[in-house]
Amino acid sequence: MPVKFLVDFTRCIKCTGCEAACKQYNRVPTGVRRIRVVTINEGKRGQYTEKHIPLMCFHCVDAPCMKACPVKAIYKTKDGVVLVDKDRCIGCGYCLWACPFGAPQFPEAGTFGSKGIMDKCTFCLESFDGEKRDKPVAMCAAFCATQALLGGEVSEITKEYRERAAGRILPL
Amino acid sequence: MAEIKLSRRNFLKATLVSGATVALSKYFGDRKFSPEELFSTVEAAEGEGIKVKRVKSICSFCSIGCGYTGVVKDGVFTHIEPWKDHPINQGGMCCKGASLVTVTNNPRRLKWPMKKENGKWKRITWEQALDEIASKMVEIRNKYGPDAFFFCGLVHGSNEEAYMFRKFAMLWGTNNIDHQARICHSTTVAGLLATYGHGAMTGTTISIEHTKCAFFFGSNAAEAHPVFMRRVFNARDKNGAKIIVADPRFTRTASFADLFMQFRPGSDIALLYGIIHEIFKNGWADEEYLKDRTYGWEKLKEVVQDYPPEVVEDITWVPAEKIREAARIMAENRPVAVIWSMGATQHSTGTYIIRALAALSLVLGSQGKWGGGCIPIRGHDNVQGVTDLCVLSHFLPGYYSVKSEKSWEWYAKVFTESGKRGLTSGSITFDELKSRFDVIKDGPLKGKSLMTMPGFTVSNWYQGVLRKPIEEIDQNCNIRAAFFWGEAMSSIKEIAKQKEAFEKLDMLVIVDPYPTAASALPEKEDGIYLLPAATRQEGSGSVTTTGREWQWRDPIIEPQWESKTDFEIFKLLAKKIDEKMGKAFMYPFFDYKTIEDVTREINIACRPIGLQGQTPERLKRQKENAHTFDPHTGKAIGGPCDGEYWGLPWPCWTEEHPGTPVLYCDEYHPKEGGHDFRAKWKYPEGDPKAGEPIVREKWDKPWGSRHWTYAYVFDMSGKVVKQALEEGNPPTGRGKARIYVYEHFDKIPVHREPIESPRPDLVEKYPTFPDIEHKYRMVKYPLETEQKRAVAEERYRKYPIVLTSGRQVEHHGGGAQTRNSPILAEIQPECYVEISPKFAILNGIKNGDWVWVETARGRIKVKAKVTERASIDVPPYTVAFVPFHWNGVFQGQDYSNRYPKDGHGLGAELVVGDSVNIIVSTGVDSITQMQETKVSLCRIYKA
Repeated sequence: MPVKFLVDFTRCIKCTGCEAACKQYNRVPTGVRRIRVVTINEGKRGQYTEKHIPLMCFHCVDAPCMKACPVKAIYKTKDGVVLVDKDRCIGCGYCLWACPFGAPQFPEAGTFGSKGIMDKCTFCLESFDGEKRDKPVAMCAAFCATQALLGGEVSEITKEYRERAAGRILPL
Repeated sequence: MAEIKLSRRNFLKATLVSGATVALSKYFGDRKFSPEELFSTVEAAEGEGIKVKRVKSICSFCSIGCGYTGVVKDGVFTHIEPWKDHPINQGGMCCKGASLVTVTNNPRRLKWPMKKENGKWKRITWEQALDEIASKMVEIRNKYGPDAFFFCGLVHGSNEEAYMFRKFAMLWGTNNIDHQARICHSTTVAGLLATYGHGAMTGTTISIEHTKCAFFFGSNAAEAHPVFMRRVFNARDKNGAKIIVADPRFTRTASFADLFMQFRPGSDIALLYGIIHEIFKNGWADEEYLKDRTYGWEKLKEVVQDYPPEVVEDITWVPAEKIREAARIMAENRPVAVIWSMGATQHSTGTYIIRALAALSLVLGSQGKWGGGCIPIRGHDNVQGVTDLCVLSHFLPGYYSVKSEKSWEWYAKVFTESGKRGLTSGSITFDELKSRFDVIKDGPLKGKSLMTMPGFTVSNWYQGVLRKPIEEIDQNCNIRAAFFWGEAMSSIKEIAKQKEAFEKLDMLVIVDPYPTAASALPEKEDGIYLLPAATRQEGSGSVTTTGREWQWRDPIIEPQWESKTDFEIFKLLAKKIDEKMGKAFMYPFFDYKTIEDVTREINIACRPIGLQGQTPERLKRQKENAHTFDPHTGKAIGGPCDGEYWGLPWPCWTEEHPGTPVLYCDEYHPKEGGHDFRAKWKYPEGDPKAGEPIVREKWDKPWGSRHWTYAYVFDMSGKVVKQALEEGNPPTGRGKARIYVYEHFDKIPVHREPIESPRPDLVEKYPTFPDIEHKYRMVKYPLETEQKRAVAEERYRKYPIVLTSGRQVEHHGGGAQTRNSPILAEIQPECYVEISPKFAILNGIKNGDWVWVETARGRIKVKAKVTERASIDVPPYTVAFVPFHWNGVFQGQDYSNRYPKDGHGLGAELVVGDSVNIIVSTGVDSITQMQETKVSLCRIYKA
């Protein structure tokens, strides 16, 4: 079963626990945001009140970045996690053009802040400095303070989400 | 690459993160950092034979008490993982907790003792530091007396270290000891204690899941207590709970509200009374509950007649229909949890606001119920514990009042008993203890022993340095030495005066894992000592959550560099003092072998709130068996802790008692955690039952009776407590909650305008209290005088915007730890003032521009954050917000260069900013001296 993220934005409070959890677990340096909580309509009230959404790589089944990469540096594991081979990557940035979510990150390198090698969310399978782990266990979701961010096997997260939805339809 | 000489155990190898260059400087303003400084990484452990250890512990930031697992590879703390079966947070943490490894492993930490000499910082040994500090202490004490000292802080300390700190001051001979609770929830403690008998949160974080209506009154829990929101959302999603938010600002919490009331800071009581008015008017008050369990509710009903929604609308900005709607939602969705934090407490009427909140809970009949009650969420990981162990100038550990000689007799007995049981080797009589204190030598209080006079508070400590003895302060001498033992000076008001005070001191000792702004702010050539304290990840001890739950911490790693735990520092300092004094003055009372011995002394000593059941063994056993606790009730089901509540929330009367998760809940037997309002007051003169004990009207359960309080607080044997429980009563009896408090100036709270008010007409109608006299060592503290002066100076015209301060989720307290973390500094690098788009355009300000925020106390330079959250330009909602976690800049002048440096990364915090507490109001609560940081008048203009 593939691994996915599901954001319940009736619960995200932008505590950025997910951002910090990722940074410390994957030793991500300053300037690279594998996950980032985005706020829309900040301060607006009423029906379209502000909402916060953690955005990271969504490990698309049909990943546009994989198609765009000219050197075929991006590949997918059997769990459905999309990874980049940093030895092949040339830092051209096409994957960023292709990604609808802005997941690819480029740590700055060189005199003019030119792009470095692409880094992005790996569902915690790989740290920034290349430590590899065997199971995709998303630390961001594990640390989410309000359980807004669910991450893991699709069957498990949809089960949790359905229970929540049922509770909203039929409060006791 | 900087070589840091460390023991092999603590070796951190800084690796160059690929591609990171000077370009990273843009993330931290104009400051330039080398990559090693920014983020020390640990070489990935490779190969076999690397020992990986996982240690469970409790987060050291806020008071929710989240659990986490620290991972240690071959002696090096590498990262943290979630502790999924921790009953309170179930693995979840906010960004601060998740960044703990960067706070512990940080080259910007204080590594060894330092001293400022001739304007330069130099490294010294522990031996030299303690020698000089102790010598100076003895010299000052001999010359001026024990009250020439001010001890403050340790809010992050364990319960044991807090107890040792208070004990230290007791034996030193002064009550000039206080901590952050003074400026945080001191009004909560005073208000709730006067109403119910205990001054703490009446439920636990877990119990919030059972609420039907979460009423946030001056609490931005989404940013201040993120994990708390987990339980609120559970209540919303599973219980259909409603969320009402009342706040001067449309906070992140407010964005989740079913009803949001934006109200003027300082008009709190008026708003609450508008709601209570409607509850009474529509017959929604639980009169049966009020008659049975409360005293004085009829008088409240009378007073709220002066606060119909139309009148309240003018005072508070909140439209009358919204006030009615709020009352209706609460009435239809009970139990209601009344939740607050600094929004309610930090006012000159703070204690009275809390009493009004307590009254609201009673009127709804929601007090003493699961999911109801009063929920003041506290700030630091152990502020509840440090409050309970009374690092306060007016209490002794366990809430024995310093004003009564009986409390001191008790402690002489406790210290001697501790010696008898081998926890320490000391013994002392009451007379010996009293002889250590000074006596007032002159003036109207001549002859009074300073032992029974509350000392200076943290909010006014500097007055002790700057003002004249006897004439302006109630002691014989000035404060000449201060110990900032884990205290952030930038969270205290009047920073300009504090700066003056620091500069005037003979000696300033800072004990902290980081140097903090107190080391750099004063322009002082000599006399500052920095002692490196170990972090909370490097020592053991117990901590108390906001829900009165005790949790045991084990160390993740040993103290790094030359840092020492506070436990050790107290012992070493006590020993040195005795050496300098030439007699066994302090150390026999501090020669504990282990920190658990201190816990045992607390179990002996602190009786009023029932700290007898929280033994080290029980706490550690709970930790081992966390998985047996039900995360939705906090109760252990099966296993070695069967029947216990997580954390054994106090009162935990005996070693068999399960703890009391919901205070005042009379629905089950006290042996199972049942409780009741405290029966410690009598009907006052003029009442038909004058002189009789106030106990509840009726009692028809198969256990217990309408009993007066048992005489258990001075019973060291514990027999009286056991007898009470056998009789089916809590030892505190079965009293009534007091809505009418006869010893207070306002027996029923009334609205009073804040010291700096934008409405002079309302100041006329609802003036503040008379000036305070002879309290907490201040001969006189102006309240009425200052309010009148503010109106006379037309501050409401010159400074038309109401300034309020508050939190950012990424930072904590004074920010010395969080602003040094590369993770947190990146997520939140700025101090700013929130202004609305319209205000920005009208004043020629763009997002990110520097602006001045000016009040009658001076001005600060911060960035302008243009956001729709701010409503400055929408009359009457003219409120500006500045977060308070910032220092390093003083009124626009950066003083980062005055921070100590050690060639290994130490310096100012990664991100610095101006401190809003330089410019906030000078108002204080009339009862506790809480500072009125929530209401000041300001103006904002481009720099």
